[in-house]
Amino acid sequence: MTSTAETTSRPATRRRTSVRAQADARFGLLLATPALILVLGLVAWPGLRTAVYSLQRVSLAGEESWTGLNNFRTLFTDERFIHSLTTTVLYAVGFLLVSTLLGLGFALLLNEKFHGQWLARSLLIVPWACPWVMVGMIWKWFVDGEVGALNAALYQFGLIDSYAAPLSDSTGALVVAVLAGAWRQASFTGLLILAGLQTIPKELPQAAMVDGANVWQRFRHLTLPWLRPVIVVVVIINTIFGFMQFDTIWALTQGGPGDATSVLSIYLYEQLFVYTNIGLGSATAVVLGGIALVLGFVFVKLLYRSNAITEGVE
Amino acid sequence: MRTSRLRTLVVYLGFALFLIWVLFPLYFTVLSSFMAPSEIGVKPFHWWPENPTLANYIAIFTGDSAPFSTGQDGGIVSSTDAVARLVPAIGRSLLVGVAVVASNLIIAGAAGYAFSRYEFRGSTVAYLLLLASRVVPAIAVVLPFFVAFRHLGLLNTSLALIISYNAFTLPLAIWLLKTYFDSVPRELEEAAKVDGASRLRCLLMIVTPIARPGLIAAGLLVFLEAWSEFFYSLVLTNSLTVPPVVAGLQNLQQFSWTTLAAATMFTVVPPVLIALAFQRYIVAGLAAGSVK
Repeated sequence: MTSTAETTSRPATRRRTSVRAQADARFGLLLATPALILVLGLVAWPGLRTAVYSLQRVSLAGEESWTGLNNFRTLFTDERFIHSLTTTVLYAVGFLLVSTLLGLGFALLLNEKFHGQWLARSLLIVPWACPWVMVGMIWKWFVDGEVGALNAALYQFGLIDSYAAPLSDSTGALVVAVLAGAWRQASFTGLLILAGLQTIPKELPQAAMVDGANVWQRFRHLTLPWLRPVIVVVVIINTIFGFMQFDTIWALTQGGPGDATSVLSIYLYEQLFVYTNIGLGSATAVVLGGIALVLGFVFVKLLYRSNAITEGVE
Repeated sequence: MRTSRLRTLVVYLGFALFLIWVLFPLYFTVLSSFMAPSEIGVKPFHWWPENPTLANYIAIFTGDSAPFSTGQDGGIVSSTDAVARLVPAIGRSLLVGVAVVASNLIIAGAAGYAFSRYEFRGSTVAYLLLLASRVVPAIAVVLPFFVAFRHLGLLNTSLALIISYNAFTLPLAIWLLKTYFDSVPRELEEAAKVDGASRLRCLLMIVTPIARPGLIAAGLLVFLEAWSEFFYSLVLTNSLTVPPVVAGLQNLQQFSWTTLAAATMFTVVPPVLIALAFQRYIVAGLAAGSVK
């Protein structure tokens, strides 16, 4: 396009490849276009539309008017919102810690040789395969104060004197919500870390053993640095999932008792579909999306840096 | 010697705790699904059903919402059509899942291949933006979908779910497939091109068969995501697919936990079987999708 004279002055072979390169590029664009249009229409547009809603007041009749940052001001003066924001942070931190540490432990365990290792490796994928909402249902009845098997087991082993109903207690409900969510996410974490562990060349731990390194030293100076990129990914994914959790908590408590487990996603659902407060609900969505975007950005940064480190070592 | 005995002890103790953690919550659901309601909540706890029954499962298939109301057990279940909605929901969940997988493999397959082989102006930026769109939480952008589908009269249809699920599976599938195509050697395609095959023919006749493991992994992950999805199905439809139908059952007064347990099994067993059968593909897909 830029200058025909330049193209014609090039040698014939060069021109042929450039014609072919143009056709290649056209073919690539053609193949990618449906996906690009769909993602623009199905992710970018709803994202922008939500951001616009968050700056508007929408009447019941559907009339929209601009209100600037009013929705956000209302949001951050709403005690229930602040409460749900702090609950979300608590939930996400608990979810991150329990799923990551358990997942790491499972992966280290299943990387050892023992009778039943194949069984354990198969079972590791089972909680991950359960839909989030079903995880909530399973745990709700598992910890139930009247029929639950957890109570029965603790009672029969003499660990408790009477059945407890953790879901009707604010702290208990949050703890159960964290454990239920982590039950599934620890599986995912374990699967990824185990895949990472299996890429460690066998000679490395053996060489370290010959050098007289003990279990902890091998873990600290060999396994952990090797796993660093995987662990960074897992930590960020677990954090994002913790902040966005809806299904499990909804099935367990629907945000209760009271507001005890009403995390941001549940607050958002109620604003939009119970109180039909489009402005406040969308402002909450923007806060939630903002958290995800910031975490995603950190994710890319950290991953880039950890790759640079491993490349520097190799 | 002593350290190796200690190691054995720690490993088997860990194995035992792992088994309890994974299986104990599930065991209670499985156990309950084979019990009559009268056997639930008795003390001492029944760790094995006294009279194992399939009534809970049969009730779901026959749409009988009160399987135990006539027996002496007296586990009364409210008369509702909720159970009757479960079997159609299973069919619809399968339909939505298959449709989402098909559109993902075609659309994301084409895009993934393009990003792997045929650079075009702006392809790098486009690819990075696609990856970034994975971060947008589904729950945060539900309202525009709701408004648009209401406008189009698509609320409460399977089509609404098929369209909206694509929003969150496409970026994942493109990422997975691009990574997979990158690992497929180009020599065969180049040889075919020398023989005069067109680009499209290369893609369909040569690349697609070689890329089958990648396509299977992506297809399975997308299917599991579609089958398990809850929030959009709850909000955009009157609970058309299995997860919200089953979750809705527990809001019904007097609904018996044993029948609910059987319904839970129906939702959990298909994805668990798929995951166990295709474990290698799925783990490879998860690892590629999150690490690369």
